[in-house]
Amino acid sequence: MARMKFLCDAERCIECNGCVTACKNEHELPWGVNRRRVVTINDGVPGEKSISVSCMHCADAPCMAVCPTDCFYKTEEGVVLHNKDACIGCGYCFFACPFGAPQFPGGNSAFGLRGKMDKCTFCAGGPEENGSKAELEKYGRNRLAEGKLPACAEMCATKALLAGDAPVISDIFRDRALRRGKAGDAAWGWTTAYGKPEQAAAVKEENK
Amino acid sequence: MTTSNFASLLGRWLIAACLMLAWSLPLRAADAPPAQQQAERQQTQPGNNAPMWREVRQDKAHFTNNPGNEAGVLIQTGGDAWRHLRNGSVTVYGGWLVILVAAAIALFYMIKGPLTNHDPLTGRLIQRFPRVERVIHWLTAGTFLILAVTGLAILFGKHVLIPLIGHSAFGYLMVLGKNVHNFIGPLFAVSTVAMIVIWARDNVWQNIDALWIRKAGGLLSGEHVPSGRFNFGEKTWFWIGVTILGLSVAVSGLILDFPNFGQTRADMQLASVVHAIAAIVMLLLAFGHIYMGTIGVKGAYDSMKSGYVDETWAREHHEHWYNDVKAGKSGHPQG
Repeated sequence: MARMKFLCDAERCIECNGCVTACKNEHELPWGVNRRRVVTINDGVPGEKSISVSCMHCADAPCMAVCPTDCFYKTEEGVVLHNKDACIGCGYCFFACPFGAPQFPGGNSAFGLRGKMDKCTFCAGGPEENGSKAELEKYGRNRLAEGKLPACAEMCATKALLAGDAPVISDIFRDRALRRGKAGDAAWGWTTAYGKPEQAAAVKEENK
Repeated sequence: MTTSNFASLLGRWLIAACLMLAWSLPLRAADAPPAQQQAERQQTQPGNNAPMWREVRQDKAHFTNNPGNEAGVLIQTGGDAWRHLRNGSVTVYGGWLVILVAAAIALFYMIKGPLTNHDPLTGRLIQRFPRVERVIHWLTAGTFLILAVTGLAILFGKHVLIPLIGHSAFGYLMVLGKNVHNFIGPLFAVSTVAMIVIWARDNVWQNIDALWIRKAGGLLSGEHVPSGRFNFGEKTWFWIGVTILGLSVAVSGLILDFPNFGQTRADMQLASVVHAIAAIVMLLLAFGHIYMGTIGVKGAYDSMKSGYVDETWAREHHEHWYNDVKAGKSGHPQG
């Protein structure tokens, strides 16, 4: 059985926010709800890196563990979904999630009136019947049931964001890493283990 | 060269090598700022993003177009500790304590039975709690019970109620339960503060309390120990249960209930743990208070229901207070 995963290639992401827009458009998300966001580390400094992040569909999901009504469930593909009918909007999943994935249409309102939690479904809908109107209104489009991958990854212009079966997308990434740059071994940091960085630079100079 | 000489030389070399390594390693890692480290690493080892990933694990906010609170934090690490504390110690120990303390009180009642009056009732009544005190007491008690039931369901319902009534029924019930908890909570905070204000004066330490402590309140002997308006047991409940724990629960609860002041996830995690622990300990003490106020002591419930107690009850349970009232004094601690 497939094990669905997201993988964001920090060397390729150009912070265009195309994935964010694709997601918002695909699921017609309300104002203030962003299932996906792009974070840029060391913005404006040489070597800055951008990463697109959403629900990472954890194997041992903290949201699932802390939910008071146990409204989360995991599909056979390893996608973490939730039942909005059982969600009480307590915000515990948001406190526990490392990635800040859970979103609330009511925001941080007084008396904790957050509304039903909303998050990335890996474009796999919810507990309602696949492709039904109820599912579309509550959870957005169910692309997985139609044999399509998540809209964010399909839309990604640089193919930085990969979504799919874990062995397949990690093979793609590994292959990229091997071919990237002049010296493939440099990408894996072998010089850190077997020599000083200065030596690696010197070897490069000789090879020119 | 003998073997032992060689071994000692080798040992000395090893120590020297370890010391050199210990000196050189930390110096390399932490001198330049993270952004500069990544920029330099980019030059020497293209594709090695270790400095950047190290930075990601520092719980710092980076740049993002998303305007949400803490949206710039790529990975927050506190959630995992909170999860294990809440689902671990708090749920396990808290749950067993609630069951064990309730069982211990039930056992005590079955073995010892209630505390009764030694002398027959006189039929003459004296006022113990005026109307304003009774209103504040029942407002606090009523909101406390509602909050206790809904709060227990939020922490333990998953383990106790879902197996009984199922996911969907529990889900619908808890939508109501959570909102009741969130709207009743502030009322409890207000009435707790009012309660502290009206009863603080009668709960200050009196010398007679030392006798109560020595005799353990007569709880085991059945003897009636003289005390002021409130005995030391009631004073303990007042200062630890109502004041310290009540205020802790109220303040942490308000932080959780009004997330619209820019609280971070770390704030909410801390407030949630304080709230759960303080609430459970307060509930355990409340079990004792409710027991003594209802079936544990004959005549105690009437004092808070009607506000009046029989003179026999007053003399046997609160002799100093009774004497003060009889002497026409206020009944509050004198001096």
